Amino acid sequence: MKDIVNNERTLHEFLKKMIVETLKLEDISAGDIDSDTPLFREGLGLDSLDALELVVAIEKHFNVIIEDENVGKQAFESIRTLATFIQAEYRQGA
Amino acid sequence: MSLAAEFRDKRVVITGGTRGLGKAMALSFARNGARVAVTYASDEASAARTEAQLQAIAEECMLIRADVSVRSDVDAMIGNVLRQWEHIDILVNNAGIIRDKLLVFLGEDDWDRVLDVNLKGTYLCSRSVVRLMIGRKFGRIINVTSPSALTGRACQTNYSASKGGIISFTKSLARELARFGVTVNAVCPGVITTSMTEHLDDKTKEEFLKLIPMGRFGEPEDVAEAVLFLASQRARYITGQILVVDGGLT
Repeated sequence: MKDIVNNERTLHEFLKKMIVETLKLEDISAGDIDSDTPLFREGLGLDSLDALELVVAIEKHFNVIIEDENVGKQAFESIRTLATFIQAEYRQGA
Repeated sequence: MSLAAEFRDKRVVITGGTRGLGKAMALSFARNGARVAVTYASDEASAARTEAQLQAIAEECMLIRADVSVRSDVDAMIGNVLRQWEHIDILVNNAGIIRDKLLVFLGEDDWDRVLDVNLKGTYLCSRSVVRLMIGRKFGRIINVTSPSALTGRACQTNYSASKGGIISFTKSLARELARFGVTVNAVCPGVITTSMTEHLDDKTKEEFLKLIPMGRFGEPEDVAEAVLFLASQRARYITGQILVVDGGLT
């Protein structure tokens, strides 16, 4: 997993795939998601329960625990912010 | 599927599980093949007796002293169970206390303590297991409420508020977790013969008996049966519900 986290492009692709698979999105494929598309509201249109599912998925895949709602909100802005958050958590843990 | 087969290898945590209702639940789960961890607040003698009974019948059992209203205690307790059993399938938030007084005499400490143990304890214990349950796409959370929350009862503003809060908590958490295969329900035991009702004087007991269509107080086992049902596969499509076990009282 460290190799994936260290490579920005690979990490973005992993996260897009993770979101599509975890949330079982039917009309969207990983390739359709732009790294800067907002994940919630007008973007992918995810809701708070989707966020809960993603929090657990990120914990499972990356062993990164999101405890604070505001931290989660910032991290879940887009694939790019999520990737940056995970990389920062990894750097802190290293 | 028999209950014994159903609960084999299931890991159950019951708070306040060494006396009264919690003890009956713990023994019932153990009898039906589950691994059972029970918490207790302070009564070492009851804990020792329950431990001996559980050891005689349980696949595996753990007794853990913890104050469910203190987050560090709850985290340590859940961590302890997870280190040994890896996951938790069923949480029964049973720990509860009463401090009955008329509101005019009800001190802030009486209010805080009852709300802390009953309601905050339910929140803390649930919070500490939900991520795991969501990750595994399976879980059962069973809370314990009271007719006092449904109809009100003089001298129980603190207790009924805490139990009313548990009903609302149950319904909201059920909505959060439904899609992850985690159900959240509550049982609502009526007047049950436990140490919490032993203090009632004869006149009060008689008054209660008149109100109970079945004409008797419940036994802890009556409530345990309902809890096991909600924890079982048979209740897989039931969530956010309050199962009243009160002989028709409410």
